[in-house]
Amino acid sequence: MTGFIIKRLMQSVLLIFLVLTITFFLLHLAPGDPMAKYYNRQGISPETVKMMRAKFGLDRPITEQYIKWVANFARGDFGFSLHYDRRPVRDLVFEAIPNTLRLTVAALLLYIVIGISLGILSAVKKGTLFDKVNTVTALFLYSIPSFWLSLMLIFIFSLKLGILPSSHMQSIGMEGAGWFELLCDRARHLVLPAFVLGVASAAGMARYMRGSMLDVLREDYIRTARAKGLENKKIFLKHAFRNAAIPVVTIIGLSIPFLLGGAVVIEKIFSWPGMGRLAVDAIYARDYPVVLAVNFVVGVMVILGNLVADIGYALLDPRIKVTKKTE
Amino acid sequence: MRMTKERNKRNRKPGSGGLWSVGWTRFRERRLAVAGAVIVLFLYLVAIFAPVLTPYNPVTYGDIPAARYMGPSFQHPFGTDKFGRDVMTRMFYGSRVSLLIGFFAVTLSIVLGSLVGALSGYAGGIVDAVLMRVVDALMAIPRLFLLLTCIALFSQSILLIIILLGATGWMSAARLVRGQVLAIKQKDYIVAAEALGAGGKRIIFKHLIPNTLTVIVVSATLRIGGIILAEAALSFLGLGVPPPTPSWGMMVFEGRDVMLDAWWVSTFPGLAIVITVIGFNLLGDGLRDAFDPIHFT
Repeated sequence: MTGFIIKRLMQSVLLIFLVLTITFFLLHLAPGDPMAKYYNRQGISPETVKMMRAKFGLDRPITEQYIKWVANFARGDFGFSLHYDRRPVRDLVFEAIPNTLRLTVAALLLYIVIGISLGILSAVKKGTLFDKVNTVTALFLYSIPSFWLSLMLIFIFSLKLGILPSSHMQSIGMEGAGWFELLCDRARHLVLPAFVLGVASAAGMARYMRGSMLDVLREDYIRTARAKGLENKKIFLKHAFRNAAIPVVTIIGLSIPFLLGGAVVIEKIFSWPGMGRLAVDAIYARDYPVVLAVNFVVGVMVILGNLVADIGYALLDPRIKVTKKTE
Repeated sequence: MRMTKERNKRNRKPGSGGLWSVGWTRFRERRLAVAGAVIVLFLYLVAIFAPVLTPYNPVTYGDIPAARYMGPSFQHPFGTDKFGRDVMTRMFYGSRVSLLIGFFAVTLSIVLGSLVGALSGYAGGIVDAVLMRVVDALMAIPRLFLLLTCIALFSQSILLIIILLGATGWMSAARLVRGQVLAIKQKDYIVAAEALGAGGKRIIFKHLIPNTLTVIVVSATLRIGGIILAEAALSFLGLGVPPPTPSWGMMVFEGRDVMLDAWWVSTFPGLAIVITVIGFNLLGDGLRDAFDPIHFT
């Protein structure tokens, strides 16, 4: 088990290193050099360009630039923003991370709960109208562009009914409020974006959970349980669900990039000050250091998320330990 | 066409006839799959015959003071936008963008993915290890972030969007093809080809890729929906196809601030995206079930 964790840990470090290399590669794939667009547009004199190139280290050999780049990024030194008053990119990114996490974790919980319960109900009631409606709804939700769903929900719940806020993380002027009011206010702001972000994945999860349950229900030990005369509820919850839920851990791990990627559009629409909005606004402002840093940080988050999911899977499924020993 | 139909009538038994006729028979038995095929066919027809289907021009402004934000009516079934342009006309022309980008981006990603996957699976060893780690690393970065990074570095155009969507989507195809290649690499005909002195290039292009083609084509169909959604998201963010070319994502964006007064500007293009993606997903699911139930589960 420890060996497995160490091996996965080393793989993750290697992956992070590769993500860094790819980011560096992308940066230098751009026509001219990475800063060309920035200093070409205002008609700056050649001397200034030369000075700026020297300042950004772009006149050094590529290998030297690469080593310096990797060393800086690995330490969390992402340089300075070209746009936000030349603030350190690290500050901008670290301010955005908790906000993105709040949104994605809420969406994750939502989608796990909705996805698993609908999946199980569908499997239990296989072939009924409920199951069919579920399947069709899942297909529909899976095919909806999140930005459009967001607009429709804002239209209904914010503009027409006026019961939920349409943007930002909390209301203006909430600073002096008590913690409970603040909590309620923030929860209300979280409802729409977390729902939109979670619901597409929930559709996929429900489909997966249904299949997984149906597979397990065909197993011999379920027949044994039935033969013993156990009631259905016990069979489904105690015997079937526990076994069907193990592969779900992997699905959760695989869904992390989708949640983070989906957050880009949703943060932009709901004016949620997270990494997605930071990246999009940085692109409008041609602020490359911020874009690249966000790219890297998101990559690291995905890799770490997968690592946690893999270890969780190994802890849950006793068969993995056995196969590791026999190897 | 008639020949196939008659042959299918004569021997209905699954498993008889060639791969395509069996698959076709199985495909037709699935109502949802056929519905998907009909939707997709309908979309292509609309895209091709857009100029015939509507008297309006998608790009030129209408009489702005008089014609802006007109609600749905007989002349404008889906209303008009803020420049007095007919929303339905722009949707018809917008289908060209979605279908074009969907088709070419998927083709590009499938070609790239097949080459990398076949090479990786066939060569094995260090080549396989390196290529697959690169695939892992690229898959760790969510696609939208990867796209944003690339868009930040280059300037926008339809061609760039196609290249980027293709170049950021080949990784899972590579994994799929690699798995297939590993499975058929040991088969007798490959060993025989090697014994006859065929080189690696010949084996990859003449034997491995043709034999994984069904899997590749089917997975391509399943991918188109995702590509169309990604393009729509980029256009919605203003980072996709540059205006005034109509694209559905941008049309939804344009109606975003006038939802209360002119709900139709955003609503109908959004529905078009939903229906298109559903169509491709149903078609892909149907093809997968019909042609290769084992390889895709």
